[in-house]
Amino acid sequence: MRGTRRRGHRSLRVGIVCPYSFDAPGGVQFHVRDLAEALQAAGHHVSVLAPSSDDTELPDVVTAAGRAVPVPYNGSVARLTFGPLTATRVRRWLEGGIDGSPFDIVHLHEPMVPSLSMLALWLATEPVVATFHTSQVRSRALQVAYPLVRQSLEKIAARIAVSEDARRTLVDHLGGDAVVIPNGVYTQVFASSARRPEWTGTADAPTVAFLGRLDEPRKGLSVLVQAVPTILDRVPGTRFLVAGRGNGIVAETREALGERASSVEFLGAVSDAEKAALLASADLYVAPQTGGESFGIVLVEAMSAGSVVVASDLGAFQRVLDDGAAGALFRTGDPADLASTVLDLIADPARRDAYRAHAAQWVQRFDWSGVTEQVLAVYEMTLDADHAIAGDVVGRFMGLFPRRVGGDA
Amino acid sequence: MTWSEIALVALAAVVVGLVFAWQGASRLDRLHRKVAASRIALDAQLVRRASAAVELAASGALDPASSVLVADAAYTASDAGPVTSPAAALKMDGLGSARERAESGLTATLREALGSPEAVRDLRAGPAGEVVVGLAAAWYRVTLARRFHNEAVAQARRVRRLWYVRLFHLAGRAPMPRTVELDDALPPGLEPAAG
Repeated sequence: MRGTRRRGHRSLRVGIVCPYSFDAPGGVQFHVRDLAEALQAAGHHVSVLAPSSDDTELPDVVTAAGRAVPVPYNGSVARLTFGPLTATRVRRWLEGGIDGSPFDIVHLHEPMVPSLSMLALWLATEPVVATFHTSQVRSRALQVAYPLVRQSLEKIAARIAVSEDARRTLVDHLGGDAVVIPNGVYTQVFASSARRPEWTGTADAPTVAFLGRLDEPRKGLSVLVQAVPTILDRVPGTRFLVAGRGNGIVAETREALGERASSVEFLGAVSDAEKAALLASADLYVAPQTGGESFGIVLVEAMSAGSVVVASDLGAFQRVLDDGAAGALFRTGDPADLASTVLDLIADPARRDAYRAHAAQWVQRFDWSGVTEQVLAVYEMTLDADHAIAGDVVGRFMGLFPRRVGGDA
Repeated sequence: MTWSEIALVALAAVVVGLVFAWQGASRLDRLHRKVAASRIALDAQLVRRASAAVELAASGALDPASSVLVADAAYTASDAGPVTSPAAALKMDGLGSARERAESGLTATLREALGSPEAVRDLRAGPAGEVVVGLAAAWYRVTLARRFHNEAVAQARRVRRLWYVRLFHLAGRAPMPRTVELDDALPPGLEPAAG
C-alpha cells in the first residue's frame, strides 16, 4: 500500500495515455493536452504518453511513444501506433511513473482503439480510469479481438463517456455503464479572443467559418460547398472561411465552385490563437458533419467565442446545442436545408443575438473548472475503492506465481 | 492410438483445464475484490452524504419542517447500517433493501427540501453555502461510486456464468454479487455542471 492520504489534499501522480498522434492534432489530442494542463493547475503531477514523430514539437508533459503510422481503421484513416516495440515503450513508461514513483492513476483515452491505450490497459497494474470519446466502436475486427480485450476491460475501475451518445454506444457494444463527463473547454480563452478585421463580417459581407479536416468526408465540407451557390445567389457578399488541412481537396473544391471560388478562402491549418480569433470574428460557424461525432468540442469553442453555430442535427450536436436553443440545427447532409438555415440567420440579427445570449450561459457547463472537478471526483472514487481492499487472495492461497493486480504493486 | 498417444492427449487436456481454471480463478478473484472495494467506496460516500444532510438540517438554512424531515431521513439512512468492514463487503450482497430504501428516502426528502434550482442557488450563496457544496460533492460521488460498483457486479456475474468457472466451482462459496439499486438522482441545481 502507498502512503496515507487525506481527501482532496494529496497531489496525485496521473499517467494519461492518448492513442492518437500529436502530429495531426484532433479532438482527443486537444482534450488530453488540456486535461493534463488542468490537472497540473490543480496541483497534480501528470505525464502523458502519446504517439508522435521525433520532429514534432510536444508540450513538456508529453512523452513520445514513437511514430504513428496511417492505417485504415473503421472506415477512415487513423494514425496509430502498435507492435512489440511500442509495447516495450508503454511498459517502460508505466514502470517509470513520475520521477521514479509509480502512477496513482492511469487514465486511458479510447482504450478500444487499437493503439497505445489498448496496450497500456493490457499492461497496467495501476488503478485504471478510461474515457470513451467515440460514438462508433462497432467494427467486425473488434468483434474478433473482443474476447482478448474483454478481460483487460475488466481492469477498468471507472468508465467515463464524454457525452450521452458515447455512453449509449458503450452500453450497446460493450455492455455495462459509464458516467458522463463532458469534454472541457477553456471558455474564457475563446470569449476573450480578439477579432481579426479580415475575418470579421459586415452586414453585406457576413463571414461563415468552417473548421476541420478537409479530406475527411465525415467532417462534411462537401455539404457546405454544395450549399455555397444557393447562399451566394441571395447574399452575394458572403465570405466562407475554411480552416483545416487536407491535401488535394482545395484545388478540387475550387474547380467545382468555378467562378464562385473567390468567395471561399482556404486558410490551411490554423494555430490555436488563430482558431480562437477565427471563431470570435466569424458571424456564423457551420458544423456540417455527417456522422461519427460524439461530442462536438468545436461547437462549444465557437459558442464561447461568440459565433452563432449552425450544425447538422446529429444527436451529439443537438445535445451540445441544448436541443437547438444555443444554436441552429439543419438536416444532416442536406445542403439545401443548410443554405436556407444560414440565409435565415443572416437575415435575422435578433435571432442571432438570442442564440448568442443563450450560448454564453450554456457553455459554462463545459468549462474546465467544473469538468476537472468531476474528473478528480472519479479519480478519488477509484482510489477509495482501490485502497479499500488490498491483498491478492488467489496469490496468497496458492502462492504459485507472484502476481501484481490492480494497485497492489 | 497407442498408449503413449492417449496419455499425451489426456495430459494436454489436463493442462488446458488447469490453465482455464487458473485464469478463471484469478480473474474472478480480481472481480470479486473489485465488487467489494467499490461497495466500500459507495458506502463511505453514502455516509458522507448523510452527515452532510444532518449538517444542513442543523444549519438553520432550511425551514423547520424540512430540517426535521431531512435529519430524520438522514438518521434513518445511517441507522440502516453502514457495512464498511472488508469481510462484510466480500459477502457482496448489495446494501440490503432496508438501507437502499432509507437512502432513496433521504434522496427524495432532500430533493423536496432543497426545492427549485433557484432555491438551491440562494442556499449556496447563503451562510450554509459550504454545507450545500459538501452535500453536492458527496452526493455526486455517490452517483459515481454506485455506477462503478454496479459495473463491477455486472462483470463479476458475467464471468461467473462462464462454463469453466461453473465446472470447476471457481467461485467457491462466494455468494452471487448483487447490484445496488437506489434513487440517487441529483436534483437540478446540485449537479456539478450547475455550480
